[in-house]
Amino acid sequence: MAILATRDCRIVIQGITGREASMVTRHALSYGTKILAGVTPGKEGQQVENVPIYDTLKRACQRHDLNTSIIYVPPAFAHDAVMEAIGNGIKLIVIITERIPRHDVARFLAAAKRADCTIVGPNSVGILSPAEKVKLGALGGDNVSRCFVPGEVGVISRSGGMTAECSWMVKRAGFGVSTSVSLGGDPLIGSPPKTILALFEKDPKTKAVVLWGEPGTSHEEDVADFMKEGGFTKPLIAYVAGRFVEDMSEGTVFGHAASIIEGGKGKPSLKNAYLREAGAHVPNRFNEIIELLQKVVRKK
Amino acid sequence: MSRVLEHIGKQILHGNGIAVPSFFVAAGKTEADQAGDNLGYPVVIKALVPVGKRGKAGAVRFAENRGELEKISEEMLSMSVRNFPVEKLLVEKKIDIAQELYVSITIDSSNQMPVIIASTSGGIDIEEIAKQDPSRISKRHVNILEGLHQYQAKEIWSDLGLKERPLQAATETLWKLYQVFRRYDATVLEVNPLAITTEGKTVAAAVLMGVDDDALYRQPELSDKVEIGSDRAWRPLTQREKDMVAVDRAEPYRGTARYTEMDGGDIGFFCGGGGGSLLVYDMLLQYGGKPANYTEFGGNPTDTKVYGLAKGILSKPGVKGFLLDANITNNTQTDLVAKGIIKAVQDLGIDVKKFPIVMRLAGVNEPKARELFQEAGIEYHGDDITMEDAARLIAEKMKNQS
Repeated sequence: MAILATRDCRIVIQGITGREASMVTRHALSYGTKILAGVTPGKEGQQVENVPIYDTLKRACQRHDLNTSIIYVPPAFAHDAVMEAIGNGIKLIVIITERIPRHDVARFLAAAKRADCTIVGPNSVGILSPAEKVKLGALGGDNVSRCFVPGEVGVISRSGGMTAECSWMVKRAGFGVSTSVSLGGDPLIGSPPKTILALFEKDPKTKAVVLWGEPGTSHEEDVADFMKEGGFTKPLIAYVAGRFVEDMSEGTVFGHAASIIEGGKGKPSLKNAYLREAGAHVPNRFNEIIELLQKVVRKK
Repeated sequence: MSRVLEHIGKQILHGNGIAVPSFFVAAGKTEADQAGDNLGYPVVIKALVPVGKRGKAGAVRFAENRGELEKISEEMLSMSVRNFPVEKLLVEKKIDIAQELYVSITIDSSNQMPVIIASTSGGIDIEEIAKQDPSRISKRHVNILEGLHQYQAKEIWSDLGLKERPLQAATETLWKLYQVFRRYDATVLEVNPLAITTEGKTVAAAVLMGVDDDALYRQPELSDKVEIGSDRAWRPLTQREKDMVAVDRAEPYRGTARYTEMDGGDIGFFCGGGGGSLLVYDMLLQYGGKPANYTEFGGNPTDTKVYGLAKGILSKPGVKGFLLDANITNNTQTDLVAKGIIKAVQDLGIDVKKFPIVMRLAGVNEPKARELFQEAGIEYHGDDITMEDAARLIAEKMKNQS
């Protein structure tokens, strides 16, 4: 098993004709992930890599039984595209688009909650489950197995690049991943780490999880609370980067837009202490992730 | 997020039916004098700088007469508030305040909803209010699809104990503030104090507003009034930083990159992406390295963009080494990154035999990148080492150099 990206996904890509999206379509198909349809207004009847394109998601849903959408629509049109997906009953939406206006994000996240629809992103690079050969988004590029090999470790990351790098660290440690999830580095995201941890808890295939955290937001604190409540009971290796940001002027953004310390809140040192207290393994150096994995995964 | 200077924030509120004190913007002492004479004393003088907590920094003061105004404006125009030199003053009519309220509207990232924080103990920082009397703070989330109803605004103030005219005035103002928050794509809108005058009317006495950079394309009214990227520096942008913003914006849809100058340092820092750069900076410090800047890149930039950035990084005085350390890329074409880097190094006439350089760049089109670096004689690593290893390597090389 795996989470989110599974063989049950029947996938459509909204904004499929863009440069990035058509490349990702090619990579996904050659990896073995089935992309059933694409949507780009005005281009119905055309194809991208033999995937049929429709003007509306409604028509795509009539021809194909779709339940998963990957959004590659430009920022100004992303809100409407997500509403179109929710309106047509899509249950998992992965939003790759970055720089979507924040008020638009708040609106479609509220609509998704009402419709019981799961959103990952915005600003996600995707979700990937190697054993299922399902990749939703750019994650893994054209050489998936370089970083992602099948295994029993879940990866959750606020950074897209570090989703791949952490999965590669898992491989370097001698293991593989069940599913790797890039959450998106924006302040407002559909699925914070806690939500994904709850899914990994239920997934029998996942034995441990690596979490990549950053300054700002209360995502890591929420994870620690979740562990204390008994919501996540498997070994968690959590690395919160950006300790130097604490020595810089408060309110300055380094890295992702959400990575901001304000009013004394969001400090990596506090997040690390809090996670440790809740029972997570918190390495001091990034390379230690490898040793920790060898310790906690073998032990099982 | 971009900060909106206070006078712009007040113009916006005024244009949306919210009362603000009469004010003038003064660029010098003479203009300040004229403002005082036109408004009539007493007046409030504020430094127009894009930072909060100005009161504590002595950047909000009162003058009873022209003599005091002259003295204060002279002092203020020669000071800096948290690294921002004061170039302009806001001179406003002092209002007769009966009560001070506090209001802020932001979007709560925990549950992704707008949140209104209100208090009847305005005039001081919300952190102070929380310490002194948390019972006088109300926190209420708003369903963004429904918007804020007038009755909800009324409930907020009524629960906090407001009655009669002040309750009505504060209710209407809060409802209007929420409309402003939504209409202008604000990330934060704080009014502190929201004054209740002796006549029972509300006046937004101090306004702090931040707007979403990503929404500026649909905010023509704001486009020339905010400095984009102002949240990425703790002081006015340096010339080199402004140049790098221009390099990034020249190709808005091909990769993102940011450059922040650090005091001193000797290692040119060019790392990716948004998360990986945080890691490398931490690790570099841990191994005793001294970065001269902080630069992150990602999202598949062109070689031209990489070239512009690398040249900026390497031409900062005092830079004696170079670290490029990125996570294994998902979509960034490493050969384009290599091209840009090599061109910058060669254009600046850097001797790669003597100048410490460490590259850790793996991912899309890697064989091509490897070949380009080999041709240029630059030491190159793919995924034979970790990101931490690369940070350690450059720190060691710098030590051996000195």
